Amino acid sequence: MRGMITDEYGVGIGWRPEIAGFVADLPGLRFVEVVAESLHHPAKHLPEGLRELRGRGVAVVPHGVRLGLGGADPVDPARVRHLAECAAALGSPMVSEHVAFVRAAGVEVGHLLPVPRTRDGLAAMVDNVHRTQAELPVPLALEPVAALFDWPDAELDEADFLTELLDRTGALLLLDIANVYANARNRGGDPLDLLDRLPLERVAYVHVAGGAEHDGRYHDTHTDPVPAEVIDLVAQLCARCRPPALMLERDGHYPPADQLRAELDAIARAAGRPAVTA
Amino acid sequence: MSREDLAGAQAALVAALVTGAPAPPGFDQDGVRAAAAALLRKRAGEVAAAWPVLAASFGPRWTVTFARWATTRPTRGSLRDGFDLARHLRAGGALGAGALEELATREAQWRYRDGGEARRRRLPAVRRVRGATVAQAFGRVWVRRAKRPRARS
Repeated sequence: MRGMITDEYGVGIGWRPEIAGFVADLPGLRFVEVVAESLHHPAKHLPEGLRELRGRGVAVVPHGVRLGLGGADPVDPARVRHLAECAAALGSPMVSEHVAFVRAAGVEVGHLLPVPRTRDGLAAMVDNVHRTQAELPVPLALEPVAALFDWPDAELDEADFLTELLDRTGALLLLDIANVYANARNRGGDPLDLLDRLPLERVAYVHVAGGAEHDGRYHDTHTDPVPAEVIDLVAQLCARCRPPALMLERDGHYPPADQLRAELDAIARAAGRPAVTA
Repeated sequence: MSREDLAGAQAALVAALVTGAPAPPGFDQDGVRAAAAALLRKRAGEVAAAWPVLAASFGPRWTVTFARWATTRPTRGSLRDGFDLARHLRAGGALGAGALEELATREAQWRYRDGGEARRRRLPAVRRVRGATVAQAFGRVWVRRAKRPRARS
């Protein structure tokens, strides 16, 4: 299903069971994301915290991490069905997944791997996105990943690959600004070059996450503080477009609530949105 | 590149990342190695969350211990990765009392044989380890430690 997101959600956060209490206490919250694979039988059972947020009118977006849209093989219909069930159970305005593959020849990687930026790599991904969209009740947003290496023999650069992928599928863009930062830093490029060439009018929402340097490379860990450079990029992005939502993505080593609040406030300030913490 | 060639190229890259095979030609070897190492650190963290006593029993050596074992073993999920590693260590006599008890608790909760699926036990189960007896019924677990008051986990 194609579509645009016209609602204005402001600043949100990735809902995780470990920080459910913190998230529930954010007074201005209107947007959260939940990892789709963490919901089992969503039609029958949803975590209490998510049901409460839905009761308050907070939008909940299922975020898939194991579909493998960029794989050479067709997506597993059961995984697509689960994503659709999550969206239906949560009344979600959209769902999201990655521009990545996660398994090959039956072996799970447990990680999001970059796809080859070739014509054939693009065609395989377009086919899988079409298969997925055909079963979804809501629009699909696609998130480009952070990668520590690229495939050799690319036929398209990242901006051209993503633009054509979105054009051919009508999918929305889930822009992870920390991934943009990580890739530019590790490739030795300027993150603004990519921002200036992406179809920013298709941004459905934005991920903001922390990371750390390890052995000379920047790793997008989601378990470290958000660097000031990433917050600066949020401001640069919001000088170019007005994303419907921006959210903090934290997946472990949860800091004290004050630090999470400070990161949410920093994102809100950089994006020119109201604070959700008060 | 046909769809089969793409599948083969993706499989070769996956093998380099999760079984320690060399990166396919043309890839930045250092980048792929860095990704494989990052993947092992991430897995170590996920298995530590599912098997806290096992991980804590190795203290600061947990990530290295896990990574050494997991380098050539693709993930089968945190629960089964923890099962496989804990049983491997138990067989070598390298598990401490707490980790042995955690493994016994998991074995009372889950039916899992190497290579298969892990399924929650529907019937009561009892496991005895050095210094403790673990009983599970209706999904609840009781641990009875020798010469200590009964504790619930």
